[in-house]
Amino acid sequence: MPFADTSLRDEYAAAVEQVAGRTLDALRDGGGPAALTARDTTAPRPLLAAVRVLGADLFAPQLLTGAEPDGPTAELLVEARRTLPPPAAGSEEAALAIGWQDWAADRMLARTPFGAAVSPAAPPRTPPAPSPGSETAGWQAWAVRMAQLSVLALPGLDGPVHEDARTHTLGLARGATRAMLRNDLTTAVRLARWLAWARADGRPVRLEIEPVLERIRLVGAGSARMRLELDVAHGLLNAGPR
Amino acid sequence: MTDTQVLTVAQRLGTRALAWLHAHYTDGRGRLTDSTVIDLADPDDVYKPLCETALAASLVLREGVAGPRDTRAARELLETAWAQLRGGDLLYDRQLRHVAITDPLETYAHFARAGYRHAALEELLNSLGRLRAVHALEMQGSRRLALANAWRIAGLEHRPDWPALARATWLGARPEPWTITWVIGYQVTHTVFHLTDWGSRPDCLPEPMRDYLRDWLPVWLDVWLETGEWDLVGELLIVDSCIGEPVTGRTGWEALAALQHPDGLIPRDAVTPVHEDPEDTFREHEHTAVVGVVAATVALSRALGGTPAPA
Repeated sequence: MPFADTSLRDEYAAAVEQVAGRTLDALRDGGGPAALTARDTTAPRPLLAAVRVLGADLFAPQLLTGAEPDGPTAELLVEARRTLPPPAAGSEEAALAIGWQDWAADRMLARTPFGAAVSPAAPPRTPPAPSPGSETAGWQAWAVRMAQLSVLALPGLDGPVHEDARTHTLGLARGATRAMLRNDLTTAVRLARWLAWARADGRPVRLEIEPVLERIRLVGAGSARMRLELDVAHGLLNAGPR
Repeated sequence: MTDTQVLTVAQRLGTRALAWLHAHYTDGRGRLTDSTVIDLADPDDVYKPLCETALAASLVLREGVAGPRDTRAARELLETAWAQLRGGDLLYDRQLRHVAITDPLETYAHFARAGYRHAALEELLNSLGRLRAVHALEMQGSRRLALANAWRIAGLEHRPDWPALARATWLGARPEPWTITWVIGYQVTHTVFHLTDWGSRPDCLPEPMRDYLRDWLPVWLDVWLETGEWDLVGELLIVDSCIGEPVTGRTGWEALAALQHPDGLIPRDAVTPVHEDPEDTFREHEHTAVVGVVAATVALSRALGGTPAPA
């Protein structure tokens, strides 16, 4: 692996990019499994870490084409979950986000023969929504938290976070607009992905999603991870109302 | 219903901003020199602030939600400004000489709103209003609405095509809300001010535009609060009062109130210094004081049920 002379952090970031890139290739090739590792070789630690980071998104190519999560990727994800400790969470909020990301990954694994290999994460607490009935307060922070949970915006996943997304599509749209104006394209694309999910779910969405995705693609979708978010959003839009 | 805490904050903000304006005019700001002629060398220097102050004062009187001291201050400001304009003669001379300028009409509207009339100027404006040339002047959509509202307020003959004018603005197109800029922000606020005549005709804002604003105003307010564009924040708060039930809550009001100086000055943004020199201070921050007075006046009036606009 060409990771010499880079810090551990760079090495892991490069691995995330590589895994996201492979997943993106699989998505663009029509939904087959991502070619993440050669069979019968031991997966290096950065690869496992990247697999853990991508989590449920590893199966986006299949989910967006109506296929089931594939075995080899599931096996790798199980290994990652078994080998690596949960990432250190700097705050309760970050812990909550990791909890939900693991929940999403476990729901995917449960659909494969490898599901029994991990003890499924219990669904964590729902991130606090804007106070009910209030359009004025709290949508900013709530939207940022939803952006951190964009991996949950996949076909076949549903739960309290999704219920929140359905209820507060205006909060998602405001959050996406705010992120665009602040040039925070990572948050913007993740909220656009939630909006695409909500629209595919048949919810009325007050923001046109395609121009947002197009703008992000042209201005700043520099990383494979950003492009994966973009393509998943497009995939959700193309899937249409379920 | 508007949060009563917001109203308390707004009332205090507006009263102090009005006191700041009044103190500056009492102190000698806003005087056109005796040699001022109809070809104003620099209209932005004294003339424009004077007209803006007249706007704020005329709205204080129109809404009638201010206490006696503020009402008196507003009346004095209008008297001062009208005297500076030589009872409207300066506007008349300026408009008589220049067919293609619009500021005499726009300025006159603020005074006409408060009962200051100039018959010869009205005759002239009606005459000009019948020229194709005046309606063919090339300008932004929100500027065109300013003229339409001025004709309406002054009760002149010309009847603008409001729906067409509304459609011809940035807001009328309801564009992708993440494409707004600082300059466009002002165009949006002015589109709303003129369509609704500063909040007295909320129903004159087409419903799709109102829905659009209700969706995105909180985002824009948030972004310009973050970048410290206090003047624009104030204008967005006026818009929030012009579109029916406010949607932005307390944050904007509390931010402006926290920034207001003990003498009533509201800094126009986070970077412009507040000078020692009162002339400089007035020049830099006068517009934001006007915005503060208007924002508070319209917010209080709308919360109390508003003044029905004359038919």
